[in-house]
Amino acid sequence: MAHEATDTHPSKDAHHGHGVGRYFLIWALLLVGTATTVITGRMDLGAANIFIALLIASVKATLVVLFFMHMTEAPGANRLVFVVSLVFSIVLMIGVFGDLWTRNPMTLPTGASTFEAPER
Amino acid sequence: MSSSDTHAPNPHLAHHYETIEKQDYAVRLGMWLFLGTEVLLFAGLFLGYTVYRHFYHEAFHQASRHLDLWAGLTNTVVLITSSLTVALAYNAIKQGKTKLCAILLALTILCALAFLVIKGIEYNHKFQEGALPGKWYHYAEVTAPGANLYYTVYFLTTGLHAFHVIVGMSILIWILSRVLRGHFSESYYVPVELGGLYWHLVDLVWIFLFPLLYLI
Repeated sequence: MAHEATDTHPSKDAHHGHGVGRYFLIWALLLVGTATTVITGRMDLGAANIFIALLIASVKATLVVLFFMHMTEAPGANRLVFVVSLVFSIVLMIGVFGDLWTRNPMTLPTGASTFEAPER
Repeated sequence: MSSSDTHAPNPHLAHHYETIEKQDYAVRLGMWLFLGTEVLLFAGLFLGYTVYRHFYHEAFHQASRHLDLWAGLTNTVVLITSSLTVALAYNAIKQGKTKLCAILLALTILCALAFLVIKGIEYNHKFQEGALPGKWYHYAEVTAPGANLYYTVYFLTTGLHAFHVIVGMSILIWILSRVLRGHFSESYYVPVELGGLYWHLVDLVWIFLFPLLYLI
């Protein structure tokens, strides 16, 4: 990764870009990921379903960011602003999950189920 | 303003930048910063999904089974393929292959159109079934409490995403027109790169929307 990070001026190696094969490989992996998530999504795995779906989606998203969006070649500042937005999204989610998992039943909205709450 | 630059002035260089490298660096950083704000925008919506799904688990589970899986799957493949073609278009212009770049951008735009048509057909079904947000909900198949909230989240997230598809497609049409007018070459292609980045973000959001809405 370190040697790629120094390549901050893609315009200077304009004589040739990446091999086209790498793009098709990522595309094939994304399609495999899609097929996998459809198959596992329709199996009844209980609480594991959502985690498997999010794991596959995260892997697919990482492939898109790193290779289609060329973050492997982006300078540090560009990586920082994007990754920080992901980190703050996770901070936001941790706060809200903390609320959901520790709710007093009396504060639940009408008709809400606590179906998922007790297990976690 | 005595410049020691011996080269002819670059027509793409704005006057407030010293060199094209500095301009490119700033432009790319600005784009990633913008993409970061987009992530935060959608993070809020995903959070809304999580909260309602937690409270109305049964309704969300049932409602997700009443979306058209094949339409969602087709649209996923269409968007992933469009991400490939736009990445290849960037790769082509980087090597000065203008014609190939134009063909690949045109393919990407066609994928965007196909996505919107399929999404439109899906929306039309929802409207006819009465699977609508809030007080307009009158869908007989899913009656668990909170079912209307699923469709509120569904229309809000897919609607905002579809808006991004329309914006992204418009940007790509504009870039294609500039490619056809010969504005870009192996020495200047940053707009193609940034338009592509925006398009990849559209794909990224859908990668999460598809399993969350259609599958689980």
